[in-house]
Amino acid sequence: MHALYDLAVGPLAWLAFGVFIIGSVYRLLAMRALALRKDGAFVAYVSWPHAFKSLAHWFTPFGALGWRENPGVTIATFIFHICLFLVPLFLMGHIVLFDTFRGWSWPALPDGAADVLAIVVVVICAYFLWRRLSVPEVRFVTSAQDVLVVSLVGLTFLTGVLAYHRIGDNLVLTTLHILSGEAMLVAIPFTRLSHMLFGVFSRGYIASEFGSVRHAKDW
Amino acid sequence: MKRRTTPLALVAFVAALLLALPALSQQDMTTVPDEAFKTRTRPPALFKHDEHNEKAKLDDCTACHHGEKDGKRDPGADTSGIPCSDCHAVEAKPGRTPLMRAFHKQCLGCHMTQKKGPVTCGDCHKPVK
Repeated sequence: MHALYDLAVGPLAWLAFGVFIIGSVYRLLAMRALALRKDGAFVAYVSWPHAFKSLAHWFTPFGALGWRENPGVTIATFIFHICLFLVPLFLMGHIVLFDTFRGWSWPALPDGAADVLAIVVVVICAYFLWRRLSVPEVRFVTSAQDVLVVSLVGLTFLTGVLAYHRIGDNLVLTTLHILSGEAMLVAIPFTRLSHMLFGVFSRGYIASEFGSVRHAKDW
Repeated sequence: MKRRTTPLALVAFVAALLLALPALSQQDMTTVPDEAFKTRTRPPALFKHDEHNEKAKLDDCTACHHGEKDGKRDPGADTSGIPCSDCHAVEAKPGRTPLMRAFHKQCLGCHMTQKKGPVTCGDCHKPVK
């Protein structure tokens, strides 16, 4: 297990960050090339003001009609995504690894707060999973991959919470936590998690068409 | 009468304690000393000095109690008995190793190269039994 831990924090960490960054750049460039080839006309009506205005609405809770339809899901979605970024980036345990091996350090969230937010992520993941499998209109658009990526995010945070509370074998749980986190990073460019890369561009595209072609709001 | 004996006894007691402290700190220490930190985020790392060194077959004190030369680690100097925080400030100047990083590099770094000993947060930072 010690050897697997070494592998996970060493070579596999480099590999995961590498695949995530290079894969993301590749996917963005490939998507741009595909868009230019299949729908080159969009270049003519792309409108940054419409795109930013629409994004501002969609980044605001209940700022778009789509967010008002299902208030529970909206609240869960916003809290989920905020915690999803906040916890891993500002977790003491993560910063310590960078501090020890690279000499980089930045302010951390208090451990207690990070713990609560991580548990919130696990609970919302379980809710999303339940929703994907039980709500008919959501189930209709759910593939096996969607279930898999939500589970992967949930597993990463769950193993992190268990390791923090020292429930179970700490080396096993921590190694599992690191490996699932790395799998999540690798999955971002190549699964539905790519909405992290494409989300703002798809919204910008729709906003441009609605704004400068149809003269209508898309929020 | 009372006024004179109490402070004297107190001074003697403190002196005895200070003299006994280096011996006490080595044999009876159960954790890495964390007194220098103003705020603690985790319980201090479990560390029984003599038990650890016996298990790790460590005879050379400088493996941990190293010196410093031109801003670099100097394994030639033995600094046993000097608290780590005397050189490794909690908030270190640029180019110097702050105390937390020094502790982590010392313990985790060695455990990683030796492929032995605890390497996860929760295996060191846990309450003393």
